[in-house]
Amino acid sequence: MRRRRRLGEVELNLAAMLDMAFQLLTFFILTFRPAPIEGQLSLNLPPPVPITNVQPEQAVDSGNGGGFSTNSLVLTIRANGDGDVTSVGLGPGRAFVGPANAYNLHELDRLLRGLFGIQHTPYDQVLIRVAPDLRYEELMKIIDVCARQKLPDGTRLQKISFSELPEPGAKQ
Amino acid sequence: MSASMSSHANAEPNLTPMLDMVFQLVTFFMLVINFKGAQLDLSLKLPVLGSARPLDTEGHDELFVLNIDSQGKLKVYGIEKDMKAYIAGEARVTIAKMTFDNPKFKKGDELPTMVVIRADRVTPFKLLDDVIKTCQEHGFRRFSLKAMTKVEGP
Repeated sequence: MRRRRRLGEVELNLAAMLDMAFQLLTFFILTFRPAPIEGQLSLNLPPPVPITNVQPEQAVDSGNGGGFSTNSLVLTIRANGDGDVTSVGLGPGRAFVGPANAYNLHELDRLLRGLFGIQHTPYDQVLIRVAPDLRYEELMKIIDVCARQKLPDGTRLQKISFSELPEPGAKQ
Repeated sequence: MSASMSSHANAEPNLTPMLDMVFQLVTFFMLVINFKGAQLDLSLKLPVLGSARPLDTEGHDELFVLNIDSQGKLKVYGIEKDMKAYIAGEARVTIAKMTFDNPKFKKGDELPTMVVIRADRVTPFKLLDDVIKTCQEHGFRRFSLKAMTKVEGP
Protein backbone atom coordinates (compact mmCIF):
# COMPACT_ATOMS: atom_id res chain seq x y z
CA MET A 1 0.00 0.00 0.00
CA ARG A 2 2.82 2.33 0.95
CA ARG A 3 4.65 1.40 -2.26
CA ARG A 4 1.56 2.15 -4.35
CA ARG A 5 1.17 5.59 -2.78
CA ARG A 6 4.78 6.36 -3.45
CA LEU A 7 4.33 5.43 -7.11
CA GLY A 8 1.29 7.66 -7.32
CA GLU A 9 3.23 10.57 -6.00
CA VAL A 10 5.84 10.47 -8.74
CA GLU A 11 5.92 13.87 -10.40
CA LEU A 12 7.84 14.75 -13.48
CA ASN A 13 9.84 17.90 -13.35
CA LEU A 14 8.09 19.90 -16.04
CA ALA A 15 10.20 22.99 -15.55
CA ALA A 16 13.01 21.71 -17.77
CA MET A 17 10.59 20.73 -20.53
CA LEU A 18 8.87 24.08 -20.24
CA ASP A 19 12.22 25.85 -20.56
CA MET A 20 12.96 23.94 -23.73
CA ALA A 21 9.48 24.59 -25.13
CA PHE A 22 9.84 28.29 -24.44
CA GLN A 23 13.18 28.31 -26.22
CA LEU A 24 11.63 26.65 -29.23
CA LEU A 25 8.74 29.07 -29.11
CA THR A 26 11.11 32.03 -28.95
CA PHE A 27 13.02 30.72 -31.96
CA PHE A 28 9.88 30.30 -34.03
CA ILE A 29 8.50 33.71 -33.04
CA LEU A 30 11.76 35.45 -33.92
CA THR A 31 12.14 33.68 -37.26
CA PHE A 32 8.48 33.97 -38.22
CA ARG A 33 8.04 36.18 -41.22
CA PRO A 34 4.74 35.87 -43.00
CA ALA A 35 5.17 35.66 -46.76
CA PRO A 36 3.68 38.60 -48.66
CA ILE A 37 0.55 37.94 -50.64
CA GLU A 38 1.85 37.74 -54.16
CA GLY A 39 0.03 36.96 -57.34
CA GLN A 40 1.46 36.08 -60.69
CA LEU A 41 0.84 36.00 -64.40
CA SER A 42 1.74 32.71 -66.06
CA LEU A 43 3.18 33.03 -69.51
CA ASN A 44 4.46 30.64 -72.08
CA LEU A 45 7.30 32.49 -73.72
CA PRO A 46 8.31 30.95 -77.03
CA PRO A 47 12.00 30.69 -77.85
CA PRO A 48 13.69 33.83 -79.12
CA VAL A 49 13.75 34.34 -82.86
CA PRO A 50 15.96 36.71 -84.78
CA ILE A 51 14.05 39.85 -85.63
CA THR A 52 15.55 42.18 -88.18
CA ASN A 53 14.19 45.19 -89.97
CA VAL A 54 10.75 44.84 -88.52
CA GLN A 55 8.38 47.60 -89.42
CA PRO A 56 5.47 48.46 -87.18
CA GLU A 57 3.17 47.81 -90.10
CA GLN A 58 4.12 44.15 -90.01
CA ALA A 59 1.30 43.01 -87.80
CA VAL A 60 1.46 39.53 -89.20
CA ASP A 61 4.43 37.95 -90.81
CA SER A 62 4.02 36.58 -94.28
CA GLY A 63 6.01 33.48 -93.38
CA ASN A 64 9.10 34.50 -95.32
CA GLY A 65 11.48 34.15 -92.41
CA GLY A 66 11.15 37.61 -90.99
CA GLY A 67 11.02 36.23 -87.50
CA PHE A 68 7.33 36.36 -86.61
CA SER A 69 5.14 33.37 -86.71
CA THR A 70 2.15 33.73 -89.00
CA ASN A 71 -0.25 34.11 -86.08
CA SER A 72 1.43 36.78 -83.97
CA LEU A 73 -0.33 40.00 -83.22
CA VAL A 74 2.23 42.76 -82.75
CA LEU A 75 1.91 45.32 -79.99
CA THR A 76 4.42 48.14 -79.91
CA ILE A 77 4.95 49.98 -76.64
CA ARG A 78 6.82 53.25 -76.66
CA ALA A 79 8.04 54.99 -73.55
CA ASN A 80 9.45 58.30 -72.42
CA GLY A 81 12.68 58.82 -70.51
CA ASP A 82 10.98 58.11 -67.18
CA GLY A 83 9.91 54.69 -68.37
CA ASP A 84 6.22 55.57 -68.68
CA VAL A 85 4.12 54.45 -71.62
CA THR A 86 3.61 57.14 -74.23
CA SER A 87 1.80 55.10 -76.86
CA VAL A 88 0.78 51.57 -77.73
CA GLY A 89 0.59 50.45 -81.31
CA LEU A 90 -1.61 47.59 -82.35
CA GLY A 91 -0.53 46.05 -85.60
CA PRO A 92 -0.40 48.76 -88.25
CA GLY A 93 -2.47 51.20 -86.21
CA ARG A 94 -2.47 52.66 -82.73
CA ALA A 95 -4.35 51.42 -79.72
CA PHE A 96 -3.84 54.63 -77.79
CA VAL A 97 -1.53 57.55 -77.33
CA GLY A 98 -0.81 58.63 -73.79
CA PRO A 99 -0.17 56.98 -70.43
CA ALA A 100 -1.28 53.48 -69.51
CA ASN A 101 -4.17 54.68 -67.38
CA ALA A 102 -7.43 52.87 -66.77
CA TYR A 103 -9.21 54.50 -69.71
CA ASN A 104 -6.49 53.71 -72.24
CA LEU A 105 -6.05 50.18 -70.95
CA HIS A 106 -9.78 49.64 -71.27
CA GLU A 107 -9.58 50.85 -74.83
CA LEU A 108 -6.73 48.42 -75.54
CA ASP A 109 -8.73 45.63 -73.94
CA ARG A 110 -11.72 46.44 -76.14
CA LEU A 111 -9.59 46.36 -79.29
CA LEU A 112 -7.94 43.08 -78.34
CA ARG A 113 -11.29 41.51 -77.53
CA GLY A 114 -12.43 42.48 -80.98
CA LEU A 115 -9.43 40.74 -82.53
CA PHE A 116 -9.31 37.60 -80.40
CA GLY A 117 -13.03 37.20 -79.89
CA ILE A 118 -13.91 36.47 -83.49
CA GLN A 119 -14.41 32.85 -84.40
CA HIS A 120 -11.66 32.51 -87.01
CA THR A 121 -9.11 34.87 -85.55
CA PRO A 122 -5.73 34.40 -87.21
CA TYR A 123 -3.92 35.13 -83.96
CA ASP A 124 -3.03 32.85 -81.13
CA GLN A 125 -0.09 34.76 -79.69
CA VAL A 126 1.10 38.27 -79.10
CA LEU A 127 4.50 39.73 -79.78
CA ILE A 128 5.14 42.79 -77.67
CA ARG A 129 7.82 45.13 -78.94
CA VAL A 130 8.95 47.16 -75.98
CA ALA A 131 10.95 50.34 -75.59
CA PRO A 132 14.14 49.50 -73.67
CA ASP A 133 13.50 52.05 -70.92
CA LEU A 134 9.95 51.01 -70.17
CA ARG A 135 9.48 50.23 -66.49
CA TYR A 136 8.47 46.71 -65.53
CA GLU A 137 5.41 48.06 -63.73
CA GLU A 138 4.14 49.70 -66.91
CA LEU A 139 4.88 46.61 -68.98
CA MET A 140 2.91 44.45 -66.56
CA LYS A 141 -0.19 46.57 -67.13
CA ILE A 142 -0.07 45.81 -70.85
CA ILE A 143 0.75 42.13 -70.27
CA ASP A 144 -2.19 41.96 -67.90
CA VAL A 145 -4.57 43.19 -70.61
CA CYS A 146 -3.12 40.66 -73.07
CA ALA A 147 -3.29 37.78 -70.58
CA ARG A 148 -6.97 38.50 -69.99
CA GLN A 149 -7.85 37.78 -73.63
CA LYS A 150 -9.55 34.55 -74.44
CA LEU A 151 -9.05 32.58 -77.60
CA PRO A 152 -12.08 31.26 -79.51
CA ASP A 153 -11.61 27.84 -77.87
CA GLY A 154 -12.12 29.44 -74.47
CA THR A 155 -8.52 29.18 -73.28
CA ARG A 156 -6.66 32.20 -72.08
CA LEU A 157 -3.97 33.75 -74.21
CA GLN A 158 -0.69 32.65 -72.69
CA LYS A 159 1.74 32.78 -75.59
CA ILE A 160 3.36 36.15 -75.33
CA SER A 161 6.82 37.00 -76.55
CA PHE A 162 8.90 40.11 -76.21
CA SER A 163 11.36 41.93 -78.32
CA GLU A 164 13.23 45.12 -77.60
CA LEU A 165 12.71 48.16 -79.76
CA PRO A 166 15.93 49.82 -80.85
CA GLU A 167 17.09 52.68 -78.66
CA PRO A 168 15.92 56.07 -79.93
CA GLY A 169 18.60 57.39 -82.25
CA ALA A 170 20.29 54.02 -82.61
CA LYS A 171 21.28 52.89 -86.06
CA GLN A 172 18.77 50.44 -87.53
CA MET B 1 5.49 32.57 11.01
CA SER B 2 6.63 29.03 10.59
CA ALA B 3 3.29 28.05 9.07
CA SER B 4 3.57 30.85 6.56
CA MET B 5 7.10 29.88 5.56
CA SER B 6 6.24 26.23 5.12
CA SER B 7 3.27 27.04 2.85
CA HIS B 8 5.61 29.22 0.76
CA ALA B 9 8.07 26.42 0.40
CA ASN B 10 5.38 24.01 -0.72
CA ALA B 11 3.86 26.26 -3.38
CA GLU B 12 4.23 24.46 -6.69
CA PRO B 13 2.37 25.89 -9.65
CA ASN B 14 0.82 23.37 -11.98
CA LEU B 15 2.92 23.73 -15.10
CA THR B 16 0.99 21.25 -17.19
CA PRO B 17 -1.54 23.70 -18.74
CA MET B 18 1.22 26.16 -19.49
CA LEU B 19 3.26 23.43 -21.14
CA ASP B 20 0.23 22.39 -23.15
CA MET B 21 -0.29 25.92 -24.38
CA VAL B 22 3.38 26.41 -25.24
CA PHE B 23 3.45 23.16 -27.20
CA GLN B 24 0.38 24.24 -29.10
CA LEU B 25 2.08 27.50 -29.99
CA VAL B 26 5.25 25.67 -31.02
CA THR B 27 3.19 23.34 -33.20
CA PHE B 28 1.47 26.30 -34.83
CA PHE B 29 4.73 28.04 -35.67
CA MET B 30 6.27 24.79 -36.91
CA LEU B 31 3.36 24.30 -39.28
CA VAL B 32 3.33 27.81 -40.68
CA ILE B 33 7.07 28.25 -41.01
CA ASN B 34 8.12 28.43 -44.64
CA PHE B 35 11.79 28.00 -45.34
CA LYS B 36 11.23 28.59 -49.06
CA GLY B 37 10.30 32.16 -48.18
CA ALA B 38 13.98 32.83 -47.59
CA GLN B 39 14.60 32.78 -51.32
CA LEU B 40 12.29 35.76 -51.80
CA ASP B 41 13.98 39.13 -51.68
CA LEU B 42 11.45 41.10 -49.67
CA SER B 43 13.24 44.38 -50.29
CA LEU B 44 11.94 44.38 -53.87
CA LYS B 45 8.91 46.50 -54.63
CA LEU B 46 6.84 44.39 -56.96
CA PRO B 47 4.36 45.97 -59.36
CA VAL B 48 0.74 45.96 -58.25
CA LEU B 49 -1.71 44.08 -60.42
CA GLY B 50 -5.21 43.44 -59.21
CA SER B 51 -5.80 40.55 -61.57
CA ALA B 52 -2.68 38.62 -60.51
CA ARG B 53 -3.57 35.22 -59.10
CA PRO B 54 -1.75 32.99 -56.61
CA LEU B 55 0.82 30.75 -58.21
CA ASP B 56 -0.63 27.52 -59.57
CA THR B 57 2.18 25.11 -60.38
CA GLU B 58 -0.24 22.68 -62.05
CA GLY B 59 1.52 19.75 -60.47
CA HIS B 60 4.99 21.00 -61.32
CA ASP B 61 6.70 21.85 -58.10
CA GLU B 62 10.00 22.92 -59.57
CA LEU B 63 10.26 26.66 -59.37
CA PHE B 64 13.30 28.70 -60.24
CA VAL B 65 12.99 32.03 -58.47
CA LEU B 66 14.90 35.02 -59.81
CA ASN B 67 14.95 38.22 -57.76
CA ILE B 68 15.94 41.12 -59.99
CA ASP B 69 16.46 44.54 -58.48
CA SER B 70 16.02 47.91 -60.15
CA GLN B 71 19.60 47.77 -61.47
CA GLY B 72 18.99 44.40 -63.11
CA LYS B 73 21.13 42.57 -60.56
CA LEU B 74 20.21 39.04 -59.61
CA LYS B 75 20.09 38.19 -55.92
CA VAL B 76 19.89 34.68 -54.54
CA TYR B 77 19.29 34.37 -50.80
CA GLY B 78 20.44 37.97 -50.50
CA ILE B 79 23.72 37.38 -52.32
CA GLU B 80 24.39 39.00 -55.66
CA LYS B 81 25.14 36.47 -58.39
CA ASP B 82 26.32 36.57 -61.94
CA MET B 83 23.03 36.22 -63.78
CA LYS B 84 24.18 34.32 -66.86
CA ALA B 85 26.36 31.87 -64.94
CA TYR B 86 23.66 31.22 -62.36
CA ILE B 87 20.94 30.52 -64.94
CA ALA B 88 23.34 28.32 -66.95
CA GLY B 89 24.20 26.36 -63.81
CA GLU B 90 20.56 25.87 -62.91
CA ALA B 91 19.79 24.74 -66.47
CA ARG B 92 22.67 22.24 -66.36
CA VAL B 93 21.34 20.72 -63.17
CA THR B 94 17.80 20.51 -64.55
CA ILE B 95 19.01 18.97 -67.83
CA ALA B 96 21.08 16.39 -65.94
CA LYS B 97 18.05 15.48 -63.84
CA MET B 98 15.77 15.29 -66.88
CA THR B 99 18.27 13.15 -68.78
CA PHE B 100 18.48 10.79 -65.81
CA ASP B 101 14.69 10.53 -65.52
CA ASN B 102 13.98 10.38 -69.23
CA PRO B 103 16.74 9.03 -71.53
CA LYS B 104 14.94 10.47 -74.58
CA PHE B 105 15.36 13.98 -73.23
CA LYS B 106 17.99 15.92 -75.11
CA LYS B 107 19.62 19.27 -74.70
CA GLY B 108 17.50 22.02 -76.21
CA ASP B 109 14.19 20.43 -75.25
CA GLU B 110 11.80 22.48 -73.17
CA LEU B 111 12.58 22.33 -69.46
CA PRO B 112 9.64 21.70 -67.12
CA THR B 113 10.87 24.16 -64.51
CA MET B 114 8.84 27.34 -64.12
CA VAL B 115 10.94 30.48 -63.92
CA VAL B 116 9.46 32.83 -61.33
CA ILE B 117 10.54 36.39 -62.02
CA ARG B 118 10.33 38.79 -59.10
CA ALA B 119 11.49 42.09 -60.50
CA ASP B 120 11.37 45.53 -58.98
CA ARG B 121 8.65 47.71 -60.42
CA VAL B 122 11.11 50.26 -61.79
CA THR B 123 13.41 47.77 -63.50
CA PRO B 124 13.84 48.86 -67.14
CA PHE B 125 12.68 46.37 -69.73
CA LYS B 126 16.13 46.08 -71.35
CA LEU B 127 17.53 44.56 -68.13
CA LEU B 128 14.58 42.26 -67.70
CA ASP B 129 14.70 41.19 -71.32
CA ASP B 130 18.29 40.14 -70.84
CA VAL B 131 17.23 37.78 -68.05
CA ILE B 132 14.29 36.36 -70.03
CA LYS B 133 16.41 35.80 -73.13
CA THR B 134 19.11 34.06 -71.10
CA CYS B 135 16.50 31.75 -69.62
CA GLN B 136 15.04 31.02 -73.04
CA GLU B 137 18.46 30.26 -74.50
CA HIS B 138 18.86 27.56 -71.86
CA GLY B 139 15.51 25.93 -72.55
CA PHE B 140 13.21 27.56 -70.01
CA ARG B 141 9.83 28.32 -71.55
CA ARG B 142 7.40 28.58 -68.68
CA PHE B 143 7.50 31.88 -66.85
CA SER B 144 5.62 33.39 -64.01
CA LEU B 145 5.79 37.15 -63.49
CA LYS B 146 5.18 38.07 -59.87
CA ALA B 147 3.14 41.04 -58.74
CA MET B 148 1.42 42.19 -55.60
CA THR B 149 -2.34 41.82 -55.64
CA LYS B 150 -2.85 45.02 -53.66
CA VAL B 151 -0.87 48.01 -52.52
CA GLU B 152 0.92 47.40 -49.23
CA GLY B 153 2.61 49.83 -46.94
CA PRO B 154 2.95 53.57 -47.46
